[in-house]
Amino acid sequence: MKSSIRSAMKIIFSNGLSAAGFIIIAFFTITAILYLIIGNRMLPYNPLQINLYQANAPPSYSHIFGTDELGRDIFSRIIAALPVDLGISIFVVLASAMIGLFMGTIAGYFRGLIEEVIMRTTDLFFAFPPLIMSMAIAATLGPSLLNAAISIIFVWWPPYVRLVRSSTLQVSANEFITMSKVLNTPFRRIFMKGIFPNIVTSLLIYATMDIGTAMLTLSTLGFLGIGIPVTTPELGMMASILSTNFYTYPLEGLIPAFFLFLIVMGFSLLGEGLAEIIDPNIRGHLLSRKKRLEEINRIKSESTN
Amino acid sequence: MEGRKELVYYIARRIASSILVILGTIIIIFLISHVLSKNPAALWAGPKARSSTIAYVIQRYHLNAPLYTQLWYFISNFFTGNLGLDPVTGKSISSEILYYFPNTLELVLAALLIIIVLGLGLGYIAAINFSSKKDALIRILYTAAWASPTFLVSTLAILIFSSYIPIFPSGGMYSPYILPPHRVTGMFVLDSLISSNINDFLNGMYHLILPALTLAFLNFGIVTRISRNGILGVKWLPYVKVARAKGLDEKHVSRNHILRNGLIESNTVIAVMFGWLITGTVVVEEIFSWPGIGRFAYSAISSDDYPVLIFVVITFTVFVIAANLIADIMYAVLDPRIRLSGEK
Repeated sequence: MKSSIRSAMKIIFSNGLSAAGFIIIAFFTITAILYLIIGNRMLPYNPLQINLYQANAPPSYSHIFGTDELGRDIFSRIIAALPVDLGISIFVVLASAMIGLFMGTIAGYFRGLIEEVIMRTTDLFFAFPPLIMSMAIAATLGPSLLNAAISIIFVWWPPYVRLVRSSTLQVSANEFITMSKVLNTPFRRIFMKGIFPNIVTSLLIYATMDIGTAMLTLSTLGFLGIGIPVTTPELGMMASILSTNFYTYPLEGLIPAFFLFLIVMGFSLLGEGLAEIIDPNIRGHLLSRKKRLEEINRIKSESTN
Repeated sequence: MEGRKELVYYIARRIASSILVILGTIIIIFLISHVLSKNPAALWAGPKARSSTIAYVIQRYHLNAPLYTQLWYFISNFFTGNLGLDPVTGKSISSEILYYFPNTLELVLAALLIIIVLGLGLGYIAAINFSSKKDALIRILYTAAWASPTFLVSTLAILIFSSYIPIFPSGGMYSPYILPPHRVTGMFVLDSLISSNINDFLNGMYHLILPALTLAFLNFGIVTRISRNGILGVKWLPYVKVARAKGLDEKHVSRNHILRNGLIESNTVIAVMFGWLITGTVVVEEIFSWPGIGRFAYSAISSDDYPVLIFVVITFTVFVIAANLIADIMYAVLDPRIRLSGEK
């Protein structure tokens, strides 16, 4: 376990893009977790505290990023919004990956009628334009964080089913799976030992990049003012102030929007770097000849040990 | 003419499956809007509706009838265009959708055109200069573009290019003093061109550039990424080496041997692009006050206008499915491998 974490770190830090992405994500995630543990005590102001005497204050020593139209401290609200944005997007992606793992392996492993049913259903849900459909569901369910998550998951899972199914098809063509079937190994065991380890890498990379996109969709719902409760600090909702006062106080909306951009950028950079390392087309040409020789020697010495 | 028969067969099959998908999506939306909510009548009438309004809405949308009857009314109403009156404006919903839709189409098509030129071009430049400074710069640019929230880019575009450096208008589809030309396609730029009114055409283009660029900037990343990877996928193949070994110069090799084969993959993305562009229009149109269907959806949300929202969602979905169908047919005509290989 420890060595696999270390080798993952090595892969991430072998590439400038993924290293930068990882650092950004780590920074914001740690801040979000700290806020969840410590709570409002770590902030200079209560993020929900309305103070009309201080409304629309420009950035200053007492309010680093200024205050919004109700006098709430923007810096504190951004920190308080981190667990909401990160948490919901990770939840959305995890849930979609679970659905994809479940339906995709069944479709790719058992084939036949059940595959046809699953894949046609997936095609149907794939046809919905992502944000638009989330808007309709969020408007139907009413504002709450869980409803916002559900409305995004609704359109988020189809790519995962396709990804998992095609990987499962590839893995299932291998002889060791055929052998396991011949030996009458239960499906659960074939899945855990044979299929899952082989598809988890591509799934993880896709999911990593996807967290950022899910966060963009969530924050757009917030910006449009549906699905997310008004009192919850959320970066998109904080930016929605832009639609009314961006000529007068543009910073109030631009700062949260910029932080949102930064976090999503972190996920995209990490995914972009990882995809490069994993893609066999490109990988060979990334390493210079010297590095490649070093790697060959290392593998040789490892195999002799 | 064996190939033509197969093409016709392929097109017929694609059209049939698209109709099924459209029906399926409408049924899903029906279930969401009629079954998912505990009290659909209150939803359709709006949160502050009087009981008489709710009674009218129940009667209008047949909310007391059995579910399959409701479904039948829902589907037949959609296909006959009999969607009822917009409770906010009092106009018929279908005529409103028909009015706003071409404007969105104009914006989306303009953005798509920019994406195809810009996205493919940048992908090509990045792949040819693989692992150089240029490549890194382009990759950072498209990663950043893909990661940008729509509202951030739209607002910055207006702030920078129409407020601080006032070279573009801050919104609208044409200047207020212009009388819109006779509606043929409904798209202002095309209509003014058809009625050969050059001034109106230029004015429309002038208003179109900034929102179209914004929408294109937000979405070109995926095209660049796929075309870059596609070109990298063929760049080191033996046939390219052979071409070089024959003594062809580098420019000729990269243009005629690498580019052509490397771009096949990016074709498929452009169809998917429609979904994302449509998604982007909701915020872009609102911020640029572009009178399209995305802005219509936004105003429907902010005024709790549920019937309009639901029918706009269906329109969007049908549009995306139709766009994918057209794109697929075009590729099948262009690339025989697609129609011959059948369904993956």
